[in-house]
Amino acid sequence: MAWNKRDDQPNAPEPAPTAPRPMSSAPSAPVTSSPNPSPEPKRSGDRATIGASIIIKGDLSGGEDLVIEGRVEGKVDLKQHNVTIGRNGRVKADVFGKVITIEGEVDGNVFAQEQAILRQAGAIRGNITAPRVILEDGSRFKGSIDMEVKDSGSRQGSDRSDRPQSVDKQQAGEPAGASRAAQAG
Amino acid sequence: MSWFSRSRRESAPAVAQADAPEVYKSLGLSALLESMRRKGQGLRILDLGSAVGGNVEFLSELGCKLHIGDLYASRSTAVEGEELGQEFFEQLFPADTKLDVVLAWDLFNYLQRKEMARLGVLLRRNCRPGALIFALMWSQKQIPAQPIRFRIQEKGHLVYERRTELERPGPRYVPAEISGLLKGFRVDRSFLLRHGIQEYLFVRDDEEDETRAI
Repeated sequence: MAWNKRDDQPNAPEPAPTAPRPMSSAPSAPVTSSPNPSPEPKRSGDRATIGASIIIKGDLSGGEDLVIEGRVEGKVDLKQHNVTIGRNGRVKADVFGKVITIEGEVDGNVFAQEQAILRQAGAIRGNITAPRVILEDGSRFKGSIDMEVKDSGSRQGSDRSDRPQSVDKQQAGEPAGASRAAQAG
Repeated sequence: MSWFSRSRRESAPAVAQADAPEVYKSLGLSALLESMRRKGQGLRILDLGSAVGGNVEFLSELGCKLHIGDLYASRSTAVEGEELGQEFFEQLFPADTKLDVVLAWDLFNYLQRKEMARLGVLLRRNCRPGALIFALMWSQKQIPAQPIRFRIQEKGHLVYERRTELERPGPRYVPAEISGLLKGFRVDRSFLLRHGIQEYLFVRDDEEDETRAI
């Protein structure tokens, strides 16, 4: 992983040894960082982090969860893993993941296998496709929402367990009971 | 990414200033939901307001496909004081989709008459015959400085969440004027509520009716 090169930051703490990561960017994709790099991107367990100073231009794919605090201009394809766009993260392309959590900004479509969560500070300009969508109050969203479960074969809305769900995270001071989602359980 | 940065700056203080939400029985919403249930699943909805998670869930349970236009936040990316043009309004609509329902909420109150007319043309173009528009018009001289966020509740109740205590002059549209600006639509139902809001349910005329009118 080019954004994880130790050569760039000789003083950065050495990361704990882990198994080689299959995550990669597209071969021709240039990976750049700002002239004043922040501390080396962190890795903990099976989760990788793209640091705030990192800019990636190209597609990303891999086999572990990913936190993006930097900028990515290319498809993020981690269908079997969780993707978090952190508060500082910006993605300008489509994002594929199992559970996708957005606290930063996405200018592209979001495809989540299980759930898409748009946090209060997050913003999406694009479409969301996920069986379950959570939009927190204060979050920004512009686009279409498709919560149809296409693989289930059951007609949407025929059974409560098949129904797509979306909840509001209530603002402080507002009773949680006011949320329809809470009623829906 | 100006849409992101500007909107974030503007939304932050608004949330902090929000009043305690008020809940009102909405006859217009009840009528709309009744019509939607009659029409069945698969309705295409354009919500011109901002995304509200509870509304998304409510509408998805009715089997609807939802597109969020977020007119007011989009407006913040336009040049201040400049009239909103056709291009601006076009980007509020989903591509290649004819709409069955438009949730305009109170947003018409925040458009100039010429802007309303432009939006009206696009609504007519993008709505199927029989499509419904749900709009809330203020009848008072002073209206909230920013559109209210409306949250749909059970049994046709609407939660009003004001984003600011500040006020501004309202346009005070009269029914005939609104109908003139929304050509191709007619008032299906209208309810004047005690707190100064008039709820409208507009319905898109059939093509045949339009031809006859011409």
